[in-house]
Amino acid sequence: MVYALKREKGKIRMKKLSFRIWLLIILLVLSLISIFVSPNGITLFQKGVLITSVEQNSTAFQYGLRQGQIITAIDGKPISNITDYSNYIQEKFPAKDEIKITITTKDSTVILYSNNAPNITVSHIPKTNLKAGLDLAGGARALVEAQGKDLSSSELNDLIAITTNRFNVYGLSDIKVSPISDLSGKRFMLIEIAGATPTDLRSMIENQGKFEAKIGNQTVFVGGNKDVASVCRNDATCANIQSCQQDSSGAYYCKFMFTIYLSEDAAKRHANITEGISINATNPEYLSQPLDLYVDDVLVESLLISKDLQGQVTTQISVSGSGTGATQDDAYKAAEANMHKLQTILITGSLPYKLEIIKLDTISPLLGQNFVKYILIAGIAALLSASLIIFIRYKKLKQSLTVILISFSEIIIILGVAALIDWNLDLASIAGILASIGTGFDDQIVILDESLHKTAYSIKQKIKMAFAIIMGAYFTVLVSLLPLMWAGAGLLKGFAITTIIGISVGVFITRPAFGDIIKRMGD
Amino acid sequence: MEEQQNQETQKKNWHDKHYKTLLLIPIALLIIGFVYMGFFYSQHHDFFLKDISLMGGTSVTINGKTDIPSLESALTNKFGEVNVREVSDLVTGEQIATIVDTTASAEDIKAFLEDYLGYKLIEGQNSSFESTDPSLGKSFYNQLLIAILIAFVFMAIVVFILFKTPVPSGAVVLSAFADIFMTLVTVNLLGIKMSSAGIIALLMLIGYSVDTDILLTNRVLRRHEDLTLNQKLMSAFKTGITMSLVSLIAIFVALLLIKSFSVTLTQIFTILVIGLAFDIFNTWVTNVSIIKWYMLSKEKREKSE
Repeated sequence: MVYALKREKGKIRMKKLSFRIWLLIILLVLSLISIFVSPNGITLFQKGVLITSVEQNSTAFQYGLRQGQIITAIDGKPISNITDYSNYIQEKFPAKDEIKITITTKDSTVILYSNNAPNITVSHIPKTNLKAGLDLAGGARALVEAQGKDLSSSELNDLIAITTNRFNVYGLSDIKVSPISDLSGKRFMLIEIAGATPTDLRSMIENQGKFEAKIGNQTVFVGGNKDVASVCRNDATCANIQSCQQDSSGAYYCKFMFTIYLSEDAAKRHANITEGISINATNPEYLSQPLDLYVDDVLVESLLISKDLQGQVTTQISVSGSGTGATQDDAYKAAEANMHKLQTILITGSLPYKLEIIKLDTISPLLGQNFVKYILIAGIAALLSASLIIFIRYKKLKQSLTVILISFSEIIIILGVAALIDWNLDLASIAGILASIGTGFDDQIVILDESLHKTAYSIKQKIKMAFAIIMGAYFTVLVSLLPLMWAGAGLLKGFAITTIIGISVGVFITRPAFGDIIKRMGD
Repeated sequence: MEEQQNQETQKKNWHDKHYKTLLLIPIALLIIGFVYMGFFYSQHHDFFLKDISLMGGTSVTINGKTDIPSLESALTNKFGEVNVREVSDLVTGEQIATIVDTTASAEDIKAFLEDYLGYKLIEGQNSSFESTDPSLGKSFYNQLLIAILIAFVFMAIVVFILFKTPVPSGAVVLSAFADIFMTLVTVNLLGIKMSSAGIIALLMLIGYSVDTDILLTNRVLRRHEDLTLNQKLMSAFKTGITMSLVSLIAIFVALLLIKSFSVTLTQIFTILVIGLAFDIFNTWVTNVSIIKWYMLSKEKREKSE
């Protein structure tokens, strides 16, 4: 970009910027957008606090506060950071009587009446869209295997679906459960929780989950194929999202419904239990007691039982639920996800295997914040010392500055890609970025050196020769990184991926642009 | 200018006479290395010392200040071999945390530390716990060794495809092997315990070390400009040594700064610094001698035909 400016000043012959330089500029802009622009605006300039979780079924939730919204003011008083928020909330709550508070978010206003602080957690708005990995941001990570069993890919996917669901039931939303397989083909489940470490993480993972459908305190059926003969899924005639509506607060909710077929035993049980239940007085279409669905002893859904089913040996039951979201699309997706969760748990029942944690990391977020700062200092120091040597060696200020600029733009593009693919930057990823910047420097020296070389070749030919060397080196590094994608249960993937992104960006984007810039300087 | 050229001719003459003899140095180093590694293997039944990320065990980071020597002696009494390190602030140099590495389980070490420190360690808040099951550590170790092996083979294949001629390609692969092998020997001599990050560094070394070798081979084999062999070697040397020095100094500067706080990055950078130093040697002694030998004997053959 600086180059383009210089061109305007007329220092260099007026000449169109080449395609490669344009590509670099465009990708730089896109990367900056990817790093700094969120749906709520430019991250750097945002004021307010970010809602990180809203307790399900709380007043705050009912009135439309959702995870991901940004609170900008309460009762007309601007809230620009966490301190503002907690000061104001502490001043107001707990209150003797229900008081009214008006919460203004970026796109809505929510009025709550309560004598307690809203059941939400907030955090500062991240300055960028980049996400720090566990070792920098803190949190917990568990690598889990099934005891005494080699999981197949579909078994692992079922296990992940059940586990994720289970965590959601427990109220943990900022969690990632993913399948991992290593070089030997063994499969693991990786659970990652950002930020805080839940106190009972170990027991949560190692306990088996159970599903129960109860009327009052009598169990009608439990999850798994003993009671549930089959569950309709992936068939729109008996499992679908029925209707979506917007509520008064502007949030959307979509209802889902799917059919399950009980085994004969469970159906008889259903008949026996429902026989003794009276008809609902206020809502005579239904029975007075609902069918409560529990997951690991936590109530997840209460279904009204149609009066027609009373005392009937019915094998076919309609299970319904809903999903909510800020837009209709979100709500639809949430409903779909919720339906899938419930279907999964009904199909598989409690966890089919006893799980064992083979690696558990619980990292305090305190140190990591300093680390990021230190790594930046170290990185800049390394970059400057490298540039200094290049300057001493070639004594060309313009070219040496270009080397620094290109290296910076490489870092920005790598980070842009990381933000785009939601990659968590951990220490290994940072080592990967350093590695690719290092090879980048090497390659730029090759280009610089070839172009400054006094031979009969034209500058164009020289750059071409430089690229023969660079591409050779690129492919050797690329192939040597591939095994790391799988080795060590994939925990070192971060390094491999960032390095591969880094060297690829370098070889295909920044170095060609550097070549063109040097070409113009050499012309 | 002329003086410089004279000097260069002199240097070249010296090199012309002795380049084969120079090859004896890497050969000797490799032999000594092999003997040492054989001895090392017979003692430790392994190619290097492993830390707990590869052996299984627990690493505890206690935030805040702790008196390290007394903690270390208390731990040694109870658990035998432990490793206690300090994490300090980059700017002020003040201690900000203590890291304890032990093969004991998370529960055992936690109970002991809470007793010793007199307060509760809350995982993920005032302390960090990283525990690895020994079985996982072992599989990590095996797989990373396989990863290095595969990476090395892949690299060799790419080099052979690139240059198509066996001797120069072999020279590149041999120098890369010598880099990694000599680095490993040095790591063992220094008594460094390798973590999975250290193995990553060895992998990075494969990439870094072939860089300059490819540059050298490319300049010598592919250039058809009217330069003599020695001139080609010299031009490759000038570029290559700049590349290596820039990387070496950049990594060294980063290492000095990072040493105080990140064990992971410290190990990666230490291994890279050692490896890059060997790379300078192996590229400009081992690889140059082989390729010079190859080119000169090829020339001779062509002349006699």
